[in-house]
Amino acid sequence: MPVNSGHATDRELVDRVARGDRAAVRLLFMRHHARVYRFAARQTGSESMADDIANEVFLELWRQAPKFEGRSEVGTWLLGIARFKALSHRRKRTEDVLDENYAETIADPSDTPEVVTLKEDKAAALRRMVDALPDEHRSVVDLAYYHGRSVTEIGEILDIPVATVKTRMFYARKKLGEALQKAGYERGWP
Amino acid sequence: MSGSAFPAGERDRMEALLPFYLNGTLSGEDLAEVEAWMESNPDAMSALAEIELEFSAIQSANESICPPADALGRFNRALDMEAGAERTGPSMLQRLWQRLTSVPPAVAWVTAAAALLIVVVQAGLENFGVGPAGTDYHVAGVAPEAANGPFALVSFKPDATLADVAALLEKEGASIEGGPQAKGFYRIAIPAGDDATYDSLTKALSASPLVAEVIPGRRPGNGS
Repeated sequence: MPVNSGHATDRELVDRVARGDRAAVRLLFMRHHARVYRFAARQTGSESMADDIANEVFLELWRQAPKFEGRSEVGTWLLGIARFKALSHRRKRTEDVLDENYAETIADPSDTPEVVTLKEDKAAALRRMVDALPDEHRSVVDLAYYHGRSVTEIGEILDIPVATVKTRMFYARKKLGEALQKAGYERGWP
Repeated sequence: MSGSAFPAGERDRMEALLPFYLNGTLSGEDLAEVEAWMESNPDAMSALAEIELEFSAIQSANESICPPADALGRFNRALDMEAGAERTGPSMLQRLWQRLTSVPPAVAWVTAAAALLIVVVQAGLENFGVGPAGTDYHVAGVAPEAANGPFALVSFKPDATLADVAALLEKEGASIEGGPQAKGFYRIAIPAGDDATYDSLTKALSASPLVAEVIPGRRPGNGS
């Protein structure tokens, strides 16, 4: 008898979704939801907004599956949709709303940079500095370091040229290096 | 400022390319350039160590964001609103369950016994190849090609996150075929060609701290 495969590729699942298979869209949701959600949370600074965006991304997958041509990986496609929706949500937002939980991950602004730095080790300092990067730089860093995306894929997701991806990575890392130095940490690569 | 031109200096180019070298996505001329630089530059290992620290900080910043545990359930409801109710509606067993939970216990036992008899007779007829020609059985939420494979019904603990469940299923090679059904059970495809593998996989699922309950379903030997 045929053994049901637990290893259908993302592309095969999208083909099944295009034929109206809800089990396939649920499986894609299980595979990709956490990353899409985290990406949206980092883009918007709001976990409740990320929740809405992630749901909308997978509903969009349900609607658009028949049109998916497979020119990019399914994960890249989903992050591209998430990016677009995050921008729309941010435009709609009239004021910066940070969820309490998310705000906790950002240093207390009442502390001076020196005091904050003394409280944490280099890794924690780096994390805070990454959070403080401008959106356009943090997105590139998140996509490369956490989502494991290539230069080309990041260009597709953010809709920017490949050279701009590299330039943003360069400036992001330059800013991180300067911030570390300012905070009194030595950079391993001077 | 973000600048518009990619820096021309070797050192600056390395700042931009090394993260992609470390995440394994660099190729072509960029990869050749980084590899040549690493062979000839004594600072290469320090540069990579610095990027590993950045990787670790960014991983931790992202993983501190936890998706809500009920996200799949809410997505299912949104999908139902978008696409309408499942074509097949509730299965016979689901309808029976709803019926049984709404009648007095004594009546329920009699109904259950009668239903069991029907199921047994139906199974017997199917085994002898008797049945309406061209019958196309379709379990709600289950792809037709998956409906004949081995499966188990599995419910997960309320605090299990989607990411953990996905990782568990991937580790065991299992996948969700349908659900959630009554009492939060999902129909999980078990990739087993024989009963021993089926038992081993369902036992592994039962042993996971993410799993609340496993009810064995169709075994490999039953569907052939």
